[in-house]
Amino acid sequence: MNVKKKEHEPLFSAKNLKLLKDPLSINNPITVQVLGICSALAVTAKLKPAIVMSISVMVVLAASNVVISLLRNGIPPRIRIIVQLVVIATMVILVDQVLKAFVYDISKQLSVFVGLIITNCIIMGRLEAFAMGNKPWPAFLDGIGNSLGYGIILIIVAFFRELFGSGTILGLQIVPKGFYDFGYENNGLMILPPMALITVGVIIWVQRNRNKELIEER
Amino acid sequence: MYSNGYIFRYAAIMVIVAAALLSAAAMLLKPFQDRNMAIEKMGGILTAAKISGVEKEETIAKFNKYVTDAIVVGQDGKIIESLNEGEKEDGAAFKLNMKEELYKKSKGENFELPVYKVDNNGEIIYIFPMLGTGLWGPIWGNIALADDLNTIVGVTFGHKGETPGLGAEITTPEFTEQFIGKQIFDANNKFTSIMVVKGGAKILPQKQQIHGVDAISGGTITSNGVNDMLNNVLESYLPYIEKQKKDER
Amino acid sequence: MQEIFNIFIKSIFIDNMVFAYFLGMCSYLAVSKTVDTSFGLGLAVTFVLGITVPVDYLLNEYVLKAGALAWLDPEFADVDLSFLSFILFIAIIASMVQLVEMVVEKFSPALYASLGIFLPLIAVNCAILGGSLFMQERDYQSLAQATSFGLGSGVGFFLAIVGIAAIREKIRYSNVPPALRRLGITFIITGLMGIAFMSFLGIKL
Repeated sequence: MNVKKKEHEPLFSAKNLKLLKDPLSINNPITVQVLGICSALAVTAKLKPAIVMSISVMVVLAASNVVISLLRNGIPPRIRIIVQLVVIATMVILVDQVLKAFVYDISKQLSVFVGLIITNCIIMGRLEAFAMGNKPWPAFLDGIGNSLGYGIILIIVAFFRELFGSGTILGLQIVPKGFYDFGYENNGLMILPPMALITVGVIIWVQRNRNKELIEER
Repeated sequence: MYSNGYIFRYAAIMVIVAAALLSAAAMLLKPFQDRNMAIEKMGGILTAAKISGVEKEETIAKFNKYVTDAIVVGQDGKIIESLNEGEKEDGAAFKLNMKEELYKKSKGENFELPVYKVDNNGEIIYIFPMLGTGLWGPIWGNIALADDLNTIVGVTFGHKGETPGLGAEITTPEFTEQFIGKQIFDANNKFTSIMVVKGGAKILPQKQQIHGVDAISGGTITSNGVNDMLNNVLESYLPYIEKQKKDER
Repeated sequence: MQEIFNIFIKSIFIDNMVFAYFLGMCSYLAVSKTVDTSFGLGLAVTFVLGITVPVDYLLNEYVLKAGALAWLDPEFADVDLSFLSFILFIAIIASMVQLVEMVVEKFSPALYASLGIFLPLIAVNCAILGGSLFMQERDYQSLAQATSFGLGSGVGFFLAIVGIAAIREKIRYSNVPPALRRLGITFIITGLMGIAFMSFLGIKL
């Protein structure tokens, strides 16, 4: 990546890299900031929708972070929520309309998520917490970092739910047919939404066991 | 720090920009979107009738070739319009708004429904479009009956926003292929529809197995929606089906 | 009248926003530390839902729906503005939330401080947009039905969040594995509550 050297600090300074890396572990949007849970439940029964959703969130989050960061000095604080939501919603609907007109097959996969992306609190949460007070470039990195952290959890949850719930990964049969002859059954409970919550709970357990500083007080 | 006047001006400008952008996009892109939707609708009808290889560009031509009759039927089963030549996509049947018609039905008013007749190399197939409600939004589909107007040749389903991996599974072949060979009338010629039940046909009594398919596990509300849609819409077509059967005999 | 009551009960228990549809999870998980704050958030959500659903109903009925503008002029009978529904619903919700934020800030600074970032986040609480979209999808016949649905969903959310907060207050005295404390165990308990609530799904009203 070659980039303009006009900035006072290098584009990938330690501070900026931190913006990318923190959300992956110690500041993960799902397991630490508790943002974007609804969609994590809705799209993780299978791996494929989880990946599509992660990519869409990345595009929307990075773009709206930049837009809001550019507008940040002009937005009157009293109506900031409306401004933020209008920016997100306009962007998502526009993208959806364009896809619907020109690449209908992709839009069919995506249109399910349109509502989920608009109300995804990750986007709103990052706009409010970061983009409102930072320059466009760090805001962009923050967007990418957070959506990566979000995507990783989504993909882990979806991997386990699809493997145990349907015996497949990305639609390919993984559990050998022989297992079923010996009485192995897919665990139907895994594809129900409550199990997504419990899986996330277990991920939090593992993550905090490895990273003691995240452990909360009683 | 910001005056009320500034806030109002800001809000007004933002609303106008956003509305203008969206309206412009909606207006400019509508013809393309409508075409895509029409193609999808045709594709659904053809797929239900087991005509394979419906690629985007060929769909319209194939639709006009295979569909021999696009019919509008009234709630009493009478044929109101029958278009058996030319461009079927311009016919009243293809343009009928199912949502409005079913809404009229729920209010007890007169309604009309579309039926398509397909001639697949000598095999006559009747296709009945359907519309219903799933968990998050509308679901729709086409059910194709053989010319005994009883045995199912194929079905397709579509949905707007069912949960991926759960309710959205109604569009997969695993689900739709179960319907093939099932019958909507029982041995006494009584209308029974198709039952979408947890556990599948095998948990039903022997006599009813020909009317049952397995629901989507984890997609209970969507499966119930499919069940209700089949029941509700096929029932609306019943006068036409009965009439057609009588005429054949 | 009975229909309205049915919708109310149904949206509290059978179609519970949190447990049946898993909407509104973010604020539900993050603000349920104590009964007091969750009580406040539950009230705020009920209030916002109780206002936005009927307002969005009117908006949908007289502006957005295909042919809805016919009351202005028969010429507009075939105008369909439904592509604007997402953004207009969201705008109504956001302005209501901003209103609630200002009211709460004025009358209860303590509650305002404890709700923190989550008050603005009510705007993206999926339960609230979900409420309006469900209303649009289910074609409620009258304003009263829409209002009863909105209030019912709000009460459902209120019950759910107060319930989990009560459990969390008690669980503080239990010996939870350190890494599961607070957030982790809340996820798991919510999952179990969700499984329990699934038994309501079979009930028909």
